[in-house]
Amino acid sequence: MLAFTRKPNSAALAFIIAGSVWFVVGTIYGLFSAIHLVSPEFFDNIPALVFGRTRAIHVNTVLYGFVGSLLIGLGMYYTPALLKRRIWSEQLGWLSFMFWTVTVLSGPITFSMGMSQGREYTEYLWIFDVSLVLAVLTMVVNMVMTILRRKENLLYVSVWYFTATFLWVGGSYFLGNVMWNPSTGALPGILDSIFHWFWGHVLPGLLLTPMAVGVAYFVIPRITRTPLYSHTLSILGFWTLVVFYSHIGGHHIVQAPMPNWLKMISAVDSMFMFLPVIIVIVNLWMTWRGKGGRIFGDPAGKWIALGLFWYLIVGAQGSLQSLPEMQVITHFNNWTVGHAHIAILGFSGFLAIGGLWHILPMITRRQLYSKKLVEVQFGLVMIGLTGFFIVLTIAGLIQGESWYNGEVIYRVLPELDAYMVLRAALGMFIIFGAFIGLYNVIMTIKKGKPIDSVEHN
Amino acid sequence: MKMTPKIFIIGSVLVWAASISLMVIFPWISMEDEPSDIWTPMNEKEKAGHDIYVNNGCHYCHSLYVRTIDWGKGAERISKMGDYYQMQPAILGTERTGPDLSQEGGEHTDDWHKAHFINPRYTNPLSLMPSWEFLGEKKIEQLTAYMQHLGWKMADKRMARQEKWQEKAIEAYEAGPDSNITWLHNNVPEEWRNMPNPYPATDAALARGRNIYENFCLNCHGPVGDGQGKAAKYLDPPPVNFTTLKRHLAEDKYIGGIFYYQIMNGITGTAMPYFKRQLESEKIWDVSNFVAVWFVGYTDANIEPRGIDASYEPEWENPYLEDPPTMEEMDKKKEEDQ
Ligand code: HEC
Ligand code: HEC
Ligand code: HEM
Ligand code: HEM
Repeated sequence: MLAFTRKPNSAALAFIIAGSVWFVVGTIYGLFSAIHLVSPEFFDNIPALVFGRTRAIHVNTVLYGFVGSLLIGLGMYYTPALLKRRIWSEQLGWLSFMFWTVTVLSGPITFSMGMSQGREYTEYLWIFDVSLVLAVLTMVVNMVMTILRRKENLLYVSVWYFTATFLWVGGSYFLGNVMWNPSTGALPGILDSIFHWFWGHVLPGLLLTPMAVGVAYFVIPRITRTPLYSHTLSILGFWTLVVFYSHIGGHHIVQAPMPNWLKMISAVDSMFMFLPVIIVIVNLWMTWRGKGGRIFGDPAGKWIALGLFWYLIVGAQGSLQSLPEMQVITHFNNWTVGHAHIAILGFSGFLAIGGLWHILPMITRRQLYSKKLVEVQFGLVMIGLTGFFIVLTIAGLIQGESWYNGEVIYRVLPELDAYMVLRAALGMFIIFGAFIGLYNVIMTIKKGKPIDSVEHN
Repeated sequence: MKMTPKIFIIGSVLVWAASISLMVIFPWISMEDEPSDIWTPMNEKEKAGHDIYVNNGCHYCHSLYVRTIDWGKGAERISKMGDYYQMQPAILGTERTGPDLSQEGGEHTDDWHKAHFINPRYTNPLSLMPSWEFLGEKKIEQLTAYMQHLGWKMADKRMARQEKWQEKAIEAYEAGPDSNITWLHNNVPEEWRNMPNPYPATDAALARGRNIYENFCLNCHGPVGDGQGKAAKYLDPPPVNFTTLKRHLAEDKYIGGIFYYQIMNGITGTAMPYFKRQLESEKIWDVSNFVAVWFVGYTDANIEPRGIDASYEPEWENPYLEDPPTMEEMDKKKEEDQ
């Protein structure tokens, strides 16, 4: 019974397939939200498609579903591979998959019925919080056990990142979602915002970022066939990430009524956040230096290289916009939405997709169904995302500057029309890319040419 | 440094624990949740409204705090920590696709909110806010109660003012259309009643006024100014029918100043909002001229007393004093101009 759950790497593959499906579902909900901002009566009085609900579905599904599932699936493959040992328990892996997927699936269902805990990024209902934490805890057990039973003595940097992710996330999620208070998932009073935004930045920072960086560390040396440039930089990058990223939740509420010392720490550490960013990029760049041709000639390498490029932009932009002086203009408007898209899709999403095209053949032992389609997908998503970044940043500046000039919000709305139309149109490129990706994954599993020689790492 | 399992597992948990001690646990212990000077508790209905707000993602478009930098740009008070006493969650919001709502209470009457929730375009034709009609009457009432609570004691004061004047406005409305207008005009200060619109109602000015009317007033006062816009059936008293105003010119000639004052300040106690934050002086005069010419068929623009004309004003003879053009004539003229 359930023999398929014992097949090597089957749980990893399940995560990867789910991630590819969520990419499609999540971005379609993004389109619903985008259409609303173009034409608010397009879905008139359809409860399941009202903006306040579709937006929550969009955001949670792309974060936890698309990027989250993909990155977990990839790590579940490369961690055991790097340790030269099968994962401790494939079936426990399936259990993690089930718990994780139940939570992600609850989003489109409960939110569309108007059941949500509301705080951005912590919307899942309590019971599904539990499910997510169980997924994380089972991952911790599985990874730690795999490490303890490893055959390779050296722990490669990707292993640290992937395993540590789950060590950090379980407790952070519990705290940030105030899980001991099931009915609201919040504390009374303004203090709640500290808990809320602690998780608000652990989610991108200590869940998606380390897993994504782990993928880059795994894939790049394999493509260039060169050793990693510097062990010291790897170590520095790792420790600075956990030190600084866990401190900066406050930069989301710089302008809210909050204790000043908290804002200070958040702003200062946000500057330092550029360190782990630049360290990872330098380390990987030095690794591929002179071998750029291989990176850009490889279907996966291109995604990874561009993902790191977005990481650089995100880090630079992020550090800047943590400054109270910048926030005067950039907070509360589409500028931040632009940042969020290049961060989640551009950085962690690109790395996840790159990892997908590198690792999928290794898991399935089949060649990619179509490299051409990977190129097409790359082009589509790149156009869509670059466009998003430009359009949303301009829209954000218009809003921020007008408000600063004393203009009321209502009067600025018509000025956004063109940008909202462009955003919806550009979104289609990304959605199209998501469909192509899903198709390519399915066809690779079904029809990809078998790889005869087993690859060894 | 060699990363052994011990070092990196224990190390990363320790560093993480140190961070949360500082950033989460310490504030948790040290911050006290105390009510601010204006805080008041929520009743059951308002709490229900708060839950609907949280469940339906109002906070993706609305913030619930006024920042220091908003002060001096229209805000009367900067939010304080104690304003959120016991609020759970204190749903601050991260974007302002719509306006901040932390001082929403008493800004509008309940009937305005009803029309607005049923379809925001009814009260604000350009709004991007979703319609919430599907929530049903009961939930809309709870949401409204929550909106009117926001701002706490400051909201209570505004609400008391709304309620006081609403009673009088309904009374006046029920006494008949003409005495309603008399009541409305009598509440405009004397100086404003004898003031003509100082700006000429040139075609350009009327085009500007029309634009403003369509973007702000259309669905209450209606496309023909008879007060039968889409929102009208939710409003008590309903919007004024402008076409009756010719009978109510002050001293048989003035209406501009009355319009200006009413549009600027709104009519507290009714759904008629104030526009002084959204429209600057010339815009209000222009829309006044537009309403006057198009719906009343008369404007006092540029009649005496007129002082020194503004430098840009063209030579302009007021053609709307006696025989106003009909709507059809105006429409035809518009087409010819284009
Ligand atoms: C798509 C974004 C969006 C969502 C979601 C949204 N609103 Fe709005 N809201 C707006 C915009 C834009 C305005 C300004 C125009 C207007 O008054 O309709 C507004 C205005 C308002 C106003 C009037 C403020 C004033 O005094 O001018 C209230 C009250 C309000 N919204 C309440 C809500 C509530 C309650 C919800 C959730 C049930 C909600 N909004 C959801 C965008 C949104
Ligand atoms: C939400 C609906 C609503 C909107 C929007 C609205 N009004 Fe009104 N308006 C009313 C109501 C209701 C009254 C009168 C109530 C009464 O009879 O006491 C009124 C009264 C007036 C009056 C008073 C007429 C008089 O002679 O006493 C003027 C002038 C007026 N509105 C102009 C405007 C203009 C100009 C705009 C757009 C800039 C506008 N209104 C937008 C609802 C609205
Ligand atoms: C996988 C790709 C995508 C990711 C990872 C992603 C991620 C996000 C995130 C994190 C937010 C929250 C932003 C914030 O609160 O600051 C957001 C909001 C949003 N996204 Fe996406 N998104 C993706 C694709 C799309 C697409 C394809 C569209 C449109 C067709 C879209 C439209 C929107 C809209 C309309 C919002 C709401 C913005 C607002 O409230 O003003 N997204 N997205
Ligand atoms: C150097 C690193 C970074 C810094 C200093 C930084 C800083 C910030 C700041 C200050 C904000 C709040 C902006 C505002 O509300 O005005 C923000 C928002 C955001 N950041 Fe970053 N960022 C960094 C990297 C990242 C990365 C790597 C990711 C994703 C993997 C990310 C994802 C997001 C998201 C999703 C938001 C939107 C939150 C919301 O809904 O408001 N950021 N960032």
